[in-house]
Amino acid sequence: MIVFGDAAEHFVLVAAALFTIGAVGFLVRRNVLVQLMSIELMLNAANLALVSYNRLHATEMTGHVFAFFVIAVAAAEASVGLAIALTFYRLRSSVYSDEADTLRH
Amino acid sequence: MTWWSTLFAVSPLVVVALGALLLMLAEALGRPAPAADGAVVTDVGSGRAGELGIGSAVVLFAGGVFALSLWMVGPEALPGAEGLAPYFIVDRFSAFFGVMLCLGGGLSALLGGGYLDEHGIDRSEFFPLLLWATLGAMALAGAGDLLTLFVALETMSIGVYAMVGLRRNGRAIEAALKYFLLGGFAGALTLFGAALLYGATGHTDLAGIGASVGTIGQPGSTVPAGLVLVAMALVVSGLLFKVAAVPFHMWTPDAYEGAPTPATTFMAVAVKCAAFAILLRVLFGAFADERVASWGTGWPPVLAVLAVATMTVGNLIAGRQESVKRMLAYSSIAHAGYALLGVVAAMRSGMGQASVLFYLLAYTVSTVGAFGALILCGRRGAEAVSYEDLAGIGRRHPVVALAFSLFLVSLAGIPATAGFFGKLGVFLAAIDAELYVLAVVGLLNSFLGAYYYLRVLVYMYMREPSPNAPRAVPMRSGQVGVAIAVAALLVVWWGLFPLSIGADVTAAGSAPMAR
Repeated sequence: MIVFGDAAEHFVLVAAALFTIGAVGFLVRRNVLVQLMSIELMLNAANLALVSYNRLHATEMTGHVFAFFVIAVAAAEASVGLAIALTFYRLRSSVYSDEADTLRH
Repeated sequence: MTWWSTLFAVSPLVVVALGALLLMLAEALGRPAPAADGAVVTDVGSGRAGELGIGSAVVLFAGGVFALSLWMVGPEALPGAEGLAPYFIVDRFSAFFGVMLCLGGGLSALLGGGYLDEHGIDRSEFFPLLLWATLGAMALAGAGDLLTLFVALETMSIGVYAMVGLRRNGRAIEAALKYFLLGGFAGALTLFGAALLYGATGHTDLAGIGASVGTIGQPGSTVPAGLVLVAMALVVSGLLFKVAAVPFHMWTPDAYEGAPTPATTFMAVAVKCAAFAILLRVLFGAFADERVASWGTGWPPVLAVLAVATMTVGNLIAGRQESVKRMLAYSSIAHAGYALLGVVAAMRSGMGQASVLFYLLAYTVSTVGAFGALILCGRRGAEAVSYEDLAGIGRRHPVVALAFSLFLVSLAGIPATAGFFGKLGVFLAAIDAELYVLAVVGLLNSFLGAYYYLRVLVYMYMREPSPNAPRAVPMRSGQVGVAIAVAALLVVWWGLFPLSIGADVTAAGSAPMAR
């Protein structure tokens, strides 16, 4: 596959697999914490892709720098997400997004 | 003196950021101290939200004034502005969105001040969150690089997640949970698409990506077309989540209904406008090459289908709602459809982008006004939610009802309001781009939309509340009143004299989207 180049190919395939696992996990599971972990998995898959693609475009470090920004943003997002999940658990004694069903007609 | 003009180029963002820091300090230091002698403090925090609301509105309007002065000076004339590209593009497009987002955010802050005080919600972190989210939105509108795009998108979104979950009751937390999960998912899609784009082209700046995409199919090109296609689909679907287009609209009604109304206003106004700004930048900065942006191949036919689906689904379901707030949520989905129509038309028509910008401007003021009027119709413990709650308000509180009617008429697109010219511009752009079917579908849809907006008017003016139902008593709030007055003035002004800003909108819409 010329698409991924020689060196980066395998890493990117792993990244794509991780991303797919994350996306499927998000869509299939109803446990809020697992869904949160799935989102993190997707973000980390993107990180892996960024870092390994940097081997193809090795003149600049763009991919590496991008990955650092993503790590910081992911941490912020996880903290807000956990706070929301925690409050939801306090109110409903449940961590299943199925039970978030009062806003429906 | 280059650094001075660079500072001026980013002054709208700097003003909002400094204001947010100051407001966080004021919010933390201004917390009422617990009574020392164990006495019960009965009046904790009353009036604080109002003051912080005025403070943040002042900050945001100051940011808007700086954006306006940037517009007056002309971003092209600034020597230092080029140095910020591609991470932050200073052009007429971002200055225009700076003004629009500061206006929408500032008016939402005024609504927030009145609303939080009236409903006794002592959560003044609302205002710093609103300022940071507006900062993210402004940065998003100027983003010319995938890195800035992602960071600004998340800055905006994370603030809004917290604003939605402000009230710790079941409905608000449920809304925040849904919005957070789907928003995080959408953000991850965009990010993975961005990573693939970087891999395929070696660039993260939109202009570089655009140049690489342009070489596809030429001899010697190393850009893999399939990978670019997948990446484009991922990035664009993540952004369509934020503008609440079908089929990525599922979170919208729940999040809009469960959130406190000022947060709903902010989501409907600032988040949607900023998402459209970056959608335009991505599509016409990175994917403007005719291999991916012509009617035969590429994104325009897909987006056209989504635009039609968005406006039709939004309008059809909005008509069946019993809650006015939920109706406005579906109507905001429908409006995203009309604006998407303009985006598609911009592929072939020079006036397409300008029509989207004017549409968003008209939508901003009308929506802020409509939610403001809805806030004004309710009291502590008795928020106006359903159509029944509004029955008879036209006779008992004529001014509130008149303002509400004006904004709904503008949202419906009836002449002599800003909303009419917004729709007219989009449809004319579609005709200019020879997309006649789309223009007709849009027109039919606006008739469909008029039904449920006018239904509110029917309830306000022609129905009386049932004898034992609680009567809606409008709250009194100077801040909400001011916000509604400003919005009403702009709706009428742009409805009577749309050409007064026609040249400005055209100038903003014809700026190159990436450099």
